[in-house]
Amino acid sequence: MPHGGPATMNPTRALMSTDRINQDLAFWLDAALEPHWGEEGAVWWAQALERVGAGLSGSTFGATLSVASRHTPRVALDPDADALAQADEILPGWNPERWDVLEAARVRLLLTRPDLEKDTFPQDLATLCQHADEGELRAIYKSLALLPEAERFSTRAAEGCRTNIVPVFESVACDTPFPFTCFDDLAWNQMLIKGLFIGAPLVRIVGLDRRLNPELARMALDLAEERRSAGRVVQPELWMCLGTHGGQRALDSLQHELASDHVVGRRAACLGLARAGHGDLVEPDSQLTLIRERMLAGDTGRRSFTQLED
Amino acid sequence: MRFFDPHIHMTSRTTDDYQAMADAGVRAVIEPAFWLGQPRTTVGSFVDYFSSIVGWERFRAAQFGISHYCAIGLNSKEANNEGLAREVLELLPLYALKEGVVAVGEIGYDEITAAEERAYQAQLEFALEHDMVVMVHSPHRDKKNGILRSLDVAAEIGIPMGKLVIDHNNEETVQGVLDRGAWAAFTIYPDTKMGSQRMVELLKQYGPERMIVDSSADWGVSDPLAVPRTAALMLEQGVDPEWVNLTCWQNALDVYAQSGQIDVAALERKPQVDQSQLFGENSVLRGQEPRVDAAVAN
Repeated sequence: MPHGGPATMNPTRALMSTDRINQDLAFWLDAALEPHWGEEGAVWWAQALERVGAGLSGSTFGATLSVASRHTPRVALDPDADALAQADEILPGWNPERWDVLEAARVRLLLTRPDLEKDTFPQDLATLCQHADEGELRAIYKSLALLPEAERFSTRAAEGCRTNIVPVFESVACDTPFPFTCFDDLAWNQMLIKGLFIGAPLVRIVGLDRRLNPELARMALDLAEERRSAGRVVQPELWMCLGTHGGQRALDSLQHELASDHVVGRRAACLGLARAGHGDLVEPDSQLTLIRERMLAGDTGRRSFTQLED
Repeated sequence: MRFFDPHIHMTSRTTDDYQAMADAGVRAVIEPAFWLGQPRTTVGSFVDYFSSIVGWERFRAAQFGISHYCAIGLNSKEANNEGLAREVLELLPLYALKEGVVAVGEIGYDEITAAEERAYQAQLEFALEHDMVVMVHSPHRDKKNGILRSLDVAAEIGIPMGKLVIDHNNEETVQGVLDRGAWAAFTIYPDTKMGSQRMVELLKQYGPERMIVDSSADWGVSDPLAVPRTAALMLEQGVDPEWVNLTCWQNALDVYAQSGQIDVAALERKPQVDQSQLFGENSVLRGQEPRVDAAVAN
């Protein structure tokens, strides 16, 4: 079965290509990291940047990435709203809101390598991943969208989605434009369905609403039927995966959910119906008052699938 | 009561064990790198093993509210395959400095060969260079001599005795270790190494200072609840509860927290299982509560 490449659905520009953007990123990360360094950490950091900038071989760089954990405070990066707006300006869809300091430092070290655009770099990155622990994998995957010619790493990112460690999965899938821009349909659809399975927050998957497709809707509807056959609740976020796809089968499944006694599922199904262009099928109901207000306001994008509980 | 089992090979244990350990109060564990019951043939097997004990195994433990730390090293048995040993020693800087690695270990002697000694010395030098704690495995055969030699070699290289833990001690070896100022750990095994009752007697004789109880549970006949079980016997036989705390929690914490890799304050707090990581086809629990007395509910 042929799978459309990302270009078929997303004819946008390649992620990173110019030195200027790279410099903006480095500047952003330095500014975000600066308030977190203690005296010892700052000395180590300056030396580490200098050594990496001068060019380190594969395993020496790996050891530097590892040892960063021994010099970096274990706290959230905590960028303010202005910084986050800047981040989104530098690279639309990039949201480092939940990064920690160690992740940011490791990403900065990666971006400092002078060989990012060389042919040998992807193999070096693969070796790095081979020896990486969970924290290093999180940082490496978080960095992918920020690397020049990021599409070179789509196979690596798809491999990241095969992890069973949820924080690593989220580093590939959430708060980054990478999957939207670089995944083919197979990898994109598998990522979303796996996200449902492991409870990763689909609301944080950048570009989700713009890459809905009939195959994804079919997979989601199959999953809904599987859950019902097993007597399980359908994940409310599953209804984000339909959009206008799935035809009558989708409408039937959404209405089935709407008739259930699972309040959060009912509310999500309302949003699903609205996204399918059938918001009119939702009757007034005390459990659905706030959701109907959201629908009337046209607030049915991926981010509307939050705060569905009472 | 809370327990720290500072020597246990969780990759060889089941989720039932994790659940039972959490229920019994085991809050933290250290998984030292060792052999797999049969010798590895390629360095890639070490890469994957080291990766799993700094990665997946830590995640698995966290799902039961247990903090998982590890020690990285080339064990003594496999040090005898010298070609492979050289390749593994080259991996050391890539793994031993990672987050949550609290020591170089378990290293030391098995048959006390020249190849074992070379690997031991090289790893001690690495530990010294990076100011790391060292966890030493003591041999089954010629144990007393092996322990004395491992102490001598560590001292020659300059490892501070306060950063040296000698494991698998018994009645014959403990005095020598304590006299040198190193930490003496005891592995409570059914039938071999050390039993709970013998441990109680040792504690009464030597007191709790620098004495550590562990299970070393692995793929053989062993007991992942050895630490809480031995603690229960200590209390039953009138050992001061503070001594139980020292040997089954605090001493291990004190020696391995010197690595800077243990968030002691977080460990002191009551553990929280991260519910967000509990469900899903791929999580360890697969949405079920492990129970033996109920039908499979899914």
